[in-house]
Amino acid sequence: MRWLGLAGLSVVALTLAVVLGPAHVAWADLGRSPIVRELRIPRALLGFVVGGSLAVSGASLQALMRNPLADPFLLGLSGGAGLGAVAAIALHLGGPWALPLAAFVGALVALALVFRLGLVGGGGGGGAELDPRVLLLGGVAVGAFAGAVMTAIISVSEAAQLRNAFLWLWGGLSGASWYTLLVLCLYVPVPLLVLLAAARPLDVLALGEEPARYLGADVTALKRRVYLAASLLTAAAVAVSGVIGFVGLMVPHLCRGVWGQQHRALLPASFLGGGALLVLADTAARVAVAPRELPVGIVTALIGVPLFALLLRRWTAT
Amino acid sequence: MRRWADRIHLAARLLVSVAVLGACGRAGDRQTAASQASGALTVTDDAGHRVTLPAPARRIVSVAPSSTELLFALGAGPQVVGRTTWCKYPPAALAVPVIGDGLNPSLEAVAARRPDLVVLYRSALNEAAAAQLARIGVPALVVKQDRLEDLARAAQLLGVVTGHSSTGDTIAAAIDAVLRTPPPPRHVRLAFVVWDNPPMVIGAGSYLDQIAGLAGGVNVFHDIPAASATVSLETIAARDPQVIAVLDDSTPVGEPAYTARPEWQVVRAVRLRRFVHLPADLFGRPSPRTAEAVAELRRLLEAWR
Repeated sequence: MRWLGLAGLSVVALTLAVVLGPAHVAWADLGRSPIVRELRIPRALLGFVVGGSLAVSGASLQALMRNPLADPFLLGLSGGAGLGAVAAIALHLGGPWALPLAAFVGALVALALVFRLGLVGGGGGGGAELDPRVLLLGGVAVGAFAGAVMTAIISVSEAAQLRNAFLWLWGGLSGASWYTLLVLCLYVPVPLLVLLAAARPLDVLALGEEPARYLGADVTALKRRVYLAASLLTAAAVAVSGVIGFVGLMVPHLCRGVWGQQHRALLPASFLGGGALLVLADTAARVAVAPRELPVGIVTALIGVPLFALLLRRWTAT
Repeated sequence: MRRWADRIHLAARLLVSVAVLGACGRAGDRQTAASQASGALTVTDDAGHRVTLPAPARRIVSVAPSSTELLFALGAGPQVVGRTTWCKYPPAALAVPVIGDGLNPSLEAVAARRPDLVVLYRSALNEAAAAQLARIGVPALVVKQDRLEDLARAAQLLGVVTGHSSTGDTIAAAIDAVLRTPPPPRHVRLAFVVWDNPPMVIGAGSYLDQIAGLAGGVNVFHDIPAASATVSLETIAARDPQVIAVLDDSTPVGEPAYTARPEWQVVRAVRLRRFVHLPADLFGRPSPRTAEAVAELRRLLEAWR
């Protein structure tokens, strides 16, 4: 029943995204209009995959860090991606794909740095252990540093366009096309399956690292695998849609309220819930103030935060 | 970190809207009172403050490209002793020392030029800066320069304070004449796309919308009151402009990068590569060469009429 409801919500979200929009398309033309075929459908599907990826990544990181505040962008990826995007503009890297690619590379560099910082003991060799607390601190530090370098470049540079890098970074799904969707769909399944396969060990890890070890989980490998997969998923999301907040933080908590702590159910539910929320938010962003468009991250916060606050009240009341 | 980034973002937006496109603000106080008692003069600026100078300004720091260009057009170029990094027109302005990029101006850098007048474009940040300058005894003039009619008034105001009031009147009259000239009868529907992701276009609040109208074009986003706005790509596609106007900065001139993006092919003007390239020099800000800008855009649109 719960699953049916979630599936229904996803279908409704996708249908609304295709039917509604600032441009008027007659019902009879829905199948033929290039606006629907080339813009709305790929954008809805891309939003669904991005929202789902962010939510799964957030749920996994919250389990890994054993911290309810963990969010896909907490670990420095937004700073790295932003720096990459600004560098692409400052260096006049041409081509239609320069910005997303540079953001992706920037996110990967931040990821590698944070990962290296997070490895504690064993001199960085095979014996090193990923420490979630150090990972968290390292992520915040790397993100802040990347953000500072980015702002420094913008302050001393004379290209007016550079300021638009911020618009892109907080942008949304404007860059959606069948091509971006295809690229994302070729990439996303691998980290997604890695995380889904880690569902059982993540349940065990929730008991604490020592108990998990006693129960036979390879905690060292698990932490690395989950961190890398979740970050690679987020890096891809940031490349196609910029930094979209709250989805990765809130959707896992909302789903925990309904599905409980079992990751075997929580991760797929987060994927569907995150996808549906982002698609609904993007539809609202396109339609609410038409012909203008709101940044989708603002809408996810406007829809998600009151919902979240309501549930938070209900949970803490019992 | 996010809060910090938000703030930077806000500042960046502010600059995008203020320095590049021109902020949209409420109509300012339109009174100018110049009293000519013993060489001293008093004017009311666009923030509504009365500014008194003992004599026409001799050392002026200009904190906006549009006022720098205007000051040189007035013949007050030799009186300009400070400019921003963005002030690159006319070429003679390049010889003037730079005081910063004009975003949240460094008051020390401004004061170091020992100005007897600072000219700022109108924004909340700059009104605060003007108040601080006044406190250290430097007269500061806040001037609105978002629309073409603002420019006519700015020309008169700056003409008075620099001692070139007759040139100021001439420039203002020329701009008024351009504004009164009827546009060519057959309209070309166009959109100004200033950024591609997210797509940003120029609305009715911008001087570019005015220039388009005067040159016989119709901005398809004229219904948006703001100077610029983020819109959905499908809105651009549905409004189907005949041509897309592109502001060319110093960056490589040519077809914009989004021309190669698959999702932009839905916009007919992009698919058919119908672009008009506007030199940023002439179209990047409201300028005393408005007549030239209108004539140039009219010529560029002729092919699509």
